[in-house]
Amino acid sequence: MIDALAYAVVGLAGVAVLWGVVTAIMNKPPGKAQLLYAAGLEAVTVIQSVIAAAKIIGGFRPAELATTIGYLIGIVILIPIAWFWANAERNRFSGIVLAVAALAVLAMTLRLLMLWTPGR
Amino acid sequence: MTDLHAQPTGPPGHRSTGPSTNSGAGRVLVAVYGVFALAATARASVQLLTRFEEAPLAYLLSALAGLIYIVATITLAHGTRASRRLALVAILIELVGVLTVGTLSVVDPEAFPRATVWSVYGIGYGFVPLVLPILGLAWLWHTRPITS
Repeated sequence: MIDALAYAVVGLAGVAVLWGVVTAIMNKPPGKAQLLYAAGLEAVTVIQSVIAAAKIIGGFRPAELATTIGYLIGIVILIPIAWFWANAERNRFSGIVLAVAALAVLAMTLRLLMLWTPGR
Repeated sequence: MTDLHAQPTGPPGHRSTGPSTNSGAGRVLVAVYGVFALAATARASVQLLTRFEEAPLAYLLSALAGLIYIVATITLAHGTRASRRLALVAILIELVGVLTVGTLSVVDPEAFPRATVWSVYGIGYGFVPLVLPILGLAWLWHTRPITS
């Protein structure tokens, strides 16, 4: 984990949450820019997990190793599944589906920051 | 994936007017259930694999919660008449589970030394585990097939 990158993910995910809520309120399905943004969020999330995995392979041992690995894997599958689910039926709720996934990514990143402390 | 949009069909004399459980706002419900299916299953897996002996009951309940969320996610997403019944059963078990485990974890914290998604009514997850089965039942009621 890199703190600055984690906070970037939190910020990007926060924007994705708001964006999804806004298009839902406007009664529109997510637009192309919004979908690309979600893809960008996914890319940054994947980079974060890869860097964290590299640090673990390199010898870093978080106190809760198994939980941390679970989070690093789980966090990267949310947006792709939500993307598919949101596009299979496109309406205002598609934006909320993306927002739910982005909120989960945000929460999981905050949790990862807490988990990222060395064990004994 | 046209099957995802399958409308409930029934015997002659029945007609369905409500939306399918996987349509409209139901897609958001499925998304939230999906997140909890992932969270509860992953959490239970880690607990069962790394320290089962510490609190077997709490961890088995954790696994049950994960299983219930997976069943609810799939059946709500499928949206057929048969899957609605399974969804109803899963969500009722979920409601009983979160109320039982929530109450026990408050009354007798010793019995639940380790957190599950249902501990203290899902406090670790913003109480969403408490609200979710209520929303699920309301959605099943809202989308119930109208019989004529």
